[in-house]
Amino acid sequence: MKPVIALTKGRLEKQFLDFFSSLGYEIKPLVEKGRKLRVETDQFEFIFAKGVDVTTYVQYGIADLGVVGGDILAEYQPDIYDLFPLPFGHCRMAVAKEKDKKWPTQKKTIASKYTKITKAFFKANGESVDIIKLEGSVELAPILGLADGIVDIVETGTTLKENGLIIDEEFLTFSARLIANRSSLKIKREELGVIIESLKQKEAF
Amino acid sequence: MFLPSGSQDRIGEKLNHQAKVNSIFRKVVQQRNYHAIETPVVEYAQTFTNRHVGMEFNKLLKWFDRDGEIEVLRADWTTAIARALMTQNPSQSKWFYQGSVFQNDEKGIERQQAGIELIRTDLLLGEMETLFTAVDVLKALSIDQYMIELGHTGIFDYMIKPLGLNEDEEESLRVAMDDKQEDVVFQLAVEKGHPSIANHLVKLIHAYGGKEILVEYREHWKDSEELVEIIDHLEQLVTSLEQLGVQDVIVDLGSVRKLRYYSGTMFSGYLKKNGDVCFSGGRYDRLYAQFNKEISAVGLAFYVDVLTAIMEDEPAKRQVCLLACPKTHVKAEKMRMNFPDAQVDILYQRPKEHHYDQIIHVQDEVES
Repeated sequence: MKPVIALTKGRLEKQFLDFFSSLGYEIKPLVEKGRKLRVETDQFEFIFAKGVDVTTYVQYGIADLGVVGGDILAEYQPDIYDLFPLPFGHCRMAVAKEKDKKWPTQKKTIASKYTKITKAFFKANGESVDIIKLEGSVELAPILGLADGIVDIVETGTTLKENGLIIDEEFLTFSARLIANRSSLKIKREELGVIIESLKQKEAF
Repeated sequence: MFLPSGSQDRIGEKLNHQAKVNSIFRKVVQQRNYHAIETPVVEYAQTFTNRHVGMEFNKLLKWFDRDGEIEVLRADWTTAIARALMTQNPSQSKWFYQGSVFQNDEKGIERQQAGIELIRTDLLLGEMETLFTAVDVLKALSIDQYMIELGHTGIFDYMIKPLGLNEDEEESLRVAMDDKQEDVVFQLAVEKGHPSIANHLVKLIHAYGGKEILVEYREHWKDSEELVEIIDHLEQLVTSLEQLGVQDVIVDLGSVRKLRYYSGTMFSGYLKKNGDVCFSGGRYDRLYAQFNKEISAVGLAFYVDVLTAIMEDEPAKRQVCLLACPKTHVKAEKMRMNFPDAQVDILYQRPKEHHYDQIIHVQDEVES
């Protein structure tokens, strides 16, 4: 059976394909996949899913390997091998607020997609906050008065700027990472060893 | 009515499989002279969360008793049995248990285990006996597609000694090793000013595989008596398992202990069919330090739910219906013994639709 690799759809997908192709792997069926969520190449079977679902498929052994953002791993902490960073998908986790506004003197309200990371960050700083979970467009929350600030990933900072927000503090940096199912790595050690090694060649830490 | 995540009704064939796993396990360990032990389902939280055991408090199922003490559902057999064995006759060294453990995590709440504990046993004898019992149980369950993995807590402990880590730093490094996070392991060790140890630890992350790993690392560590001793010990276990006919035995020299009380050899069994871990265990002499006793201890637990899931259905038995009436019911009941290998129903009326292979009228005993 071919090794099964779960890929995060969207932004990371394109960056992974560029990287994968630069290593000499065949990516044509992946580029031309249309809306298919399951694609086979000569060597691998790929499945395409949302980031957090990539971790689920890998944890339950449906996929042997996965490519997922470090932010997702930090938030959901799946029970997988979190092997190493890949040289793309770089981003930072930051607290942001409206440009000309001061933090309130009482307990702050923070909106975020990343509630666990947010809680851990403020807890480590010894500050109690109320957290509101949002699924996307988190930048809206301070503008519309839902929250005093946000915790979100920042790549270039353009979205923040265009919505009148500024970074208050950056506290974590992430990149895409290669993850593996705990049993597959051992049981299929020979099949997976080659692809893992080749993905590692270009990473640097 | 809705069930909590992970809770389940067990019905029909699945329940038969579970009973089969439990009865085969029981038969095998009793033949090997293990004695049964069962600890209560309710204990004080302290038993599992004290510094020698270190289970996560927030994962235990807990409540306050009338005196304000925190009570929990049994979270771990090994810990509870260690407590119980302190009052038992020390001459009995081999024990087995069967039942549920309760922890609240993403996998659900209740898990069924069947396991063994050996205390006050010679180091090698105890570990060989534990592993051989595992092989014996799997064989009796007709499971042959599995892989056994061995590791040792002493390797990581030895490697990190020069780093001078405090408790939190050591835990962070242990978690990163356990997740095989190369970059994080490297960074944590470099921050302590030891780039060469950082490189060794990163290499160790990949030190899993067959016997060739032991050969490679014996050469690599030839100047360290302590590490060579561990390699020799692991090799002896691997060789013994191979001689016993286990086809796939691997080592992972980069493995670290998951519970604080592990101290020495660790082992896991993987089912090749689906990758599930079907047993795990190891040495935990440290567990008994909480009772101020120096007692050697080793054991393992089978995950009954995992084994149950891969048991195959028994071949269907012949289904026989005896059509009787109140007058002939006793006669029909006595006729059951004529069908020792069949499933026999007694009915008063011939069913309109049926699945029986044979229907017998008891009155005249003429087959239909």
